[in-house]
Amino acid sequence: MAVDTRHKRHSIGQYISLAILSLVALFIIAPYIWMLMSSFKSTQEIVQNPGVILPINWTLAGYRNVLTNSPFFRWFLNSAIVATSITVLVVFTSTLAGFVFAKFEFKGKEALFWLILATMMVPYQITMIPIFLIVGELNLYDTLWALILPGAVSAFGFYLCRQFCEEIPDSLSEAALIDGAGPMRVYWSIIMPLLKPCIAALAIFTFLEAWNEYLKPLIMLSQVDRMTLPLSLVFFGNAHIHDIGSVMSAASLIMIPAVIVLLIFQKQFIKGISITGTK
Amino acid sequence: MFFVLLPILLLYFTFLVLPIGAGFVMSFFDYNPLRTNNDFVGLANFARLTNDPVFFKALRNTLYFVFATVPLNIIITLIIAQLISSLDWSKLRASFRVLFFMPCIAPLVASSMVWKQLYNVRYGIINSMLEGLFNIQPINWLGTQSLVIPSVILFTLWADMGYNVIIFSAGMDGIPSDFYEAANIDGAGPISRFFNITLPLLGRTFSFVIAMTFISHFQMFAQFQVLATKGGPNNAGTVLTYLIYKTAFQNKNMGYASAIAITLFLLIMIFTIVQQRVNRVDWGY
Repeated sequence: MAVDTRHKRHSIGQYISLAILSLVALFIIAPYIWMLMSSFKSTQEIVQNPGVILPINWTLAGYRNVLTNSPFFRWFLNSAIVATSITVLVVFTSTLAGFVFAKFEFKGKEALFWLILATMMVPYQITMIPIFLIVGELNLYDTLWALILPGAVSAFGFYLCRQFCEEIPDSLSEAALIDGAGPMRVYWSIIMPLLKPCIAALAIFTFLEAWNEYLKPLIMLSQVDRMTLPLSLVFFGNAHIHDIGSVMSAASLIMIPAVIVLLIFQKQFIKGISITGTK
Repeated sequence: MFFVLLPILLLYFTFLVLPIGAGFVMSFFDYNPLRTNNDFVGLANFARLTNDPVFFKALRNTLYFVFATVPLNIIITLIIAQLISSLDWSKLRASFRVLFFMPCIAPLVASSMVWKQLYNVRYGIINSMLEGLFNIQPINWLGTQSLVIPSVILFTLWADMGYNVIIFSAGMDGIPSDFYEAANIDGAGPISRFFNITLPLLGRTFSFVIAMTFISHFQMFAQFQVLATKGGPNNAGTVLTYLIYKTAFQNKNMGYASAIAITLFLLIMIFTIVQQRVNRVDWGY
């Protein structure tokens, strides 16, 4: 609906829309501002002057407490390892399975496709108990593998990639196969490049979900130095329940980098989300 | 080629297909991982559900939460998306989309912890604002039975609007402008344009968003664990997901927890089928 408006005066309606959106935007940002400002306050100040937003006495004590009295960098590294591994694995397994299911015929394909698709309908609450027990059988409790291995496949990713692969004309892959290229080669040099928008969207979704996941680490991990960030924040919060300033510093350290990443990659984020919604 | 697919299918089987089967089977057992003997009990777990008051409370709270939050979310995000899409300034359109998406990139559990402080009775900014502006006495948001779920609802709206705003505005941008030009010539106002063009033409997107939002809200967990500490006062903040977690991993009663999980699944399934019937879209443009 974008109209060229350079020569047009903005109507009153435009300014009303802008005012409403700005109010909602303020509501969205306010908790972030409160968190960030509180992270520079002492707990005493937070409790005694609840109505004052800006710190009266700026302090870095909270940040110092987080960074020196907790393995914060270990937690950050754990999260990075888990989220990156899951993203790479999901992109690989989903594109490959999607390609095979879209371009090859084999026995039981339809049944297998629906079986995998049906798993999307099932809430994690049903599968988490058996997955917990399977991970136990594999002796993986309290390791990052307990999160990476079950996270390596995604029914949603499989479905998304198959949809995109179906849209690639058969003539492209068939021509290459006739020219003597192996299926793996077709996958790597023909299918993968054409799947780029799909991969970008899938990667963003998968990474965000893995980075923010809380329930899975909660049931799989108990040792402090194995925790990922969301779980560790709750752990830290419980351990410093009377030190709100420190807890807000920890929360800021987790949330602010994500905001910066979002601002840098905003175009990719928006495009990726839009793709999945219209598919 | 198919050799590469084999380990992938093995992963799909081990971590997607097998656990579903196992989840159903476990609901017929009195399963405790700390015991060596776990008896087959038939439908006893489900029979137990029917006279478990906490289960019914959790069921009611879940339905209350989902059926209040999702419609509010859809209505608000539709309005916001429409307002954004109709802005003349393209830079502002992009900035608002990113801004409303901000809470979605934070871990739900981290934002819940921040909101827990905002809701605090003594020093929470919500209470001090209400006191300063309207002279309202401090309210115990998370400690009052009737206020726990509404507080979680407000938080969840804040945390989860971003996705839908972006998907709806992408859908709106995809509607050919001819429709609007024709409507303008016919003299249709903005509200009539919204109901007669935007909403019907969003069709597929609309149906997709509703289904995804319902399914995800049925499964929300983190904010209930953080905001409604230990299920809230008198279990007023206990939802099915929290009850399943507590039963399986704190009380180690995994058979019974599986039975509760299956009722959650049935709830989602029935709901999805009904929703697909109601929102059937069999045309495009």
